[in-house]
Amino acid sequence: MENICAIRNLTKVFFVERTGEYVHALDRIDLDLNRSEFLILLGPSGCGKSTLLFMLSGLDHPTSGEITFTEKSHDNKRLTCTVFQEYALFPWRTVIDNVAFGPEMRRVRKRARYREAERYIELVNLTGFETRFPNELSGGMRQRVALARALANDPEVILFDEPLAALDAQTRRVLQTELVSIWSKTKKTFVYVTHSLEEAVLLGERIVLMSSRPGRVKEIIDIADIPRPRSTTNEREVKVLAMLAEHIAAEVDKSMRREREL
Amino acid sequence: MAVSDTQAVAATGRSGGLAVPSPLVILKKYYSVLLLIIVWEVVARLNLVTPFLLPSVSSILKGVYKATLEADLIRDTALTTYRALLSFCVALVIAVPIGISMARIRVIHWFFDPIVSIGFPTPKISFLPIFILWFGLFDRPKIFLATLACTFPIVTATYLGTMGVDKYLLWSARNMGTSENSLLRKVIFPATLPQVLNGAQIAMPISIIVVIVSEMLMGGGGLGNYIMVAQRFADSVSVFAGLLVISVLGYLLQKILEKVRALVLHWHEETQHESK
Ligand SMILES: Nc1ncnc2c1ncn2[C@@H]1O[C@H](COP(=O)(O)OP(=O)(O)OP(=O)(O)O)[C@@H](O)[C@H]1O
Ligand SMILES: [Mg+2]
Repeated sequence: MENICAIRNLTKVFFVERTGEYVHALDRIDLDLNRSEFLILLGPSGCGKSTLLFMLSGLDHPTSGEITFTEKSHDNKRLTCTVFQEYALFPWRTVIDNVAFGPEMRRVRKRARYREAERYIELVNLTGFETRFPNELSGGMRQRVALARALANDPEVILFDEPLAALDAQTRRVLQTELVSIWSKTKKTFVYVTHSLEEAVLLGERIVLMSSRPGRVKEIIDIADIPRPRSTTNEREVKVLAMLAEHIAAEVDKSMRREREL
Repeated sequence: MAVSDTQAVAATGRSGGLAVPSPLVILKKYYSVLLLIIVWEVVARLNLVTPFLLPSVSSILKGVYKATLEADLIRDTALTTYRALLSFCVALVIAVPIGISMARIRVIHWFFDPIVSIGFPTPKISFLPIFILWFGLFDRPKIFLATLACTFPIVTATYLGTMGVDKYLLWSARNMGTSENSLLRKVIFPATLPQVLNGAQIAMPISIIVVIVSEMLMGGGGLGNYIMVAQRFADSVSVFAGLLVISVLGYLLQKILEKVRALVLHWHEETQHESK
């Protein structure tokens, strides 16, 4: 198992100007990312999952502690790319131009970047929709475009922030299956934030359980050995689900009790 | 491919082109205007008021036709159109960079924000005397004044548009290694474009109004001047002819702008819904 990123003693405190308060979002996080793993971040709302992804993406900086990737980022190498629940596609660009955005920023020639984009469009099963605009696509298709766009940057890690939360149950199922297949085809490291226990069990290799605010790593559950395709009705999966449910309930309970005390 | 995905796409379809509507559609859309014209014509023909106060529509049309032959009206129309369009375009070129940089650069916001909040509600036409002193009598004061008047709505719309750019778009772009320069050209500008064009649609009639009013007040040709001269000669048919041309001109410019918007924003949800 090759370590590609080490998060050490990472703490994030936000200062809220409006109220003059400090929000302790993440507290002394220690976590290693392994090459080609499917890592799930699971925790109650507000525990700092999105904040952790933001630190990993470099869009924001930790208050203290550090994040070290073994590879170094430079103009032609992205360490991370993010897939948001909100899709965040460029509405004035067609599907193929959205996917080719990263290569375009790296000044890849038009022919080459379209060829590259085409490959990822095929990977996410969107061949034939290259010239559509995002608002002509369903939510599920938009999220596929967002995934293809992230993949086209060939990053070390792809960060997902509840990417399927806005989709209907049926589409979500389809996309979960496809995500696993794309993950095993591309051998990318996926760091995946979700609220859904089922999703965590269906997709993940390791599940990082976080405590309610301030977010800490409470436990890491390794389920890489559960064979795929997985189902929420198999014995092993059911057991893990029960354990996760217990943990989340305890954390939610804790944070509610704390709020009552305040 | 999930079935629901394909259906959603089939239902959305592609946006239509810029089809020319049939006469019946035009009739349905503008029947109130037609009705007004008919009532006007009847009232005028029945001699309920003297033709001096309200000439019949047909005589106005005849007046337009005659004036066109004399090339007066054509020259004045061209002059007004030129002034209004030039002012509008110059204002766009000035206002869009100001609006965007106000939203992005603190010092520029600090400098322009009070100017915009005080300047926007001030009636720009009241600067006319000063502009005449500064810039003389013919084209320049009119064009400068209309440019000034158009700048405010475009600056404001562009500023608000830039402030409102979806933060996820900016994050995604940055995350993909976009330089600040590319971010401006490839993300912020296109994302702001719908708002810029909203501002432009507000500015266009303002440009025409300011140009015509300053022509009325200071002469120097143009449709505003045309009307004032006709009035001085008690030629009410020509006054109404001038009015007619002004409203047609305003209408056409606005329509052209709408078409430009639909072309430029063919990707925009709103445009695609309209064209259905
Ligand atoms: N820019 C910010 N300024 C101030 N506080 C912030 C900021 N971003 C996040 N927070 C606070 O930090 C905490 C963690 O937020 P974060 O969005 O990371 O939680 P989350 O685990 O992603 O929650 P959810 O599951 O609801 O998405 C929250 O209490 C939030 O209010
Ligand atoms: Mg979140």
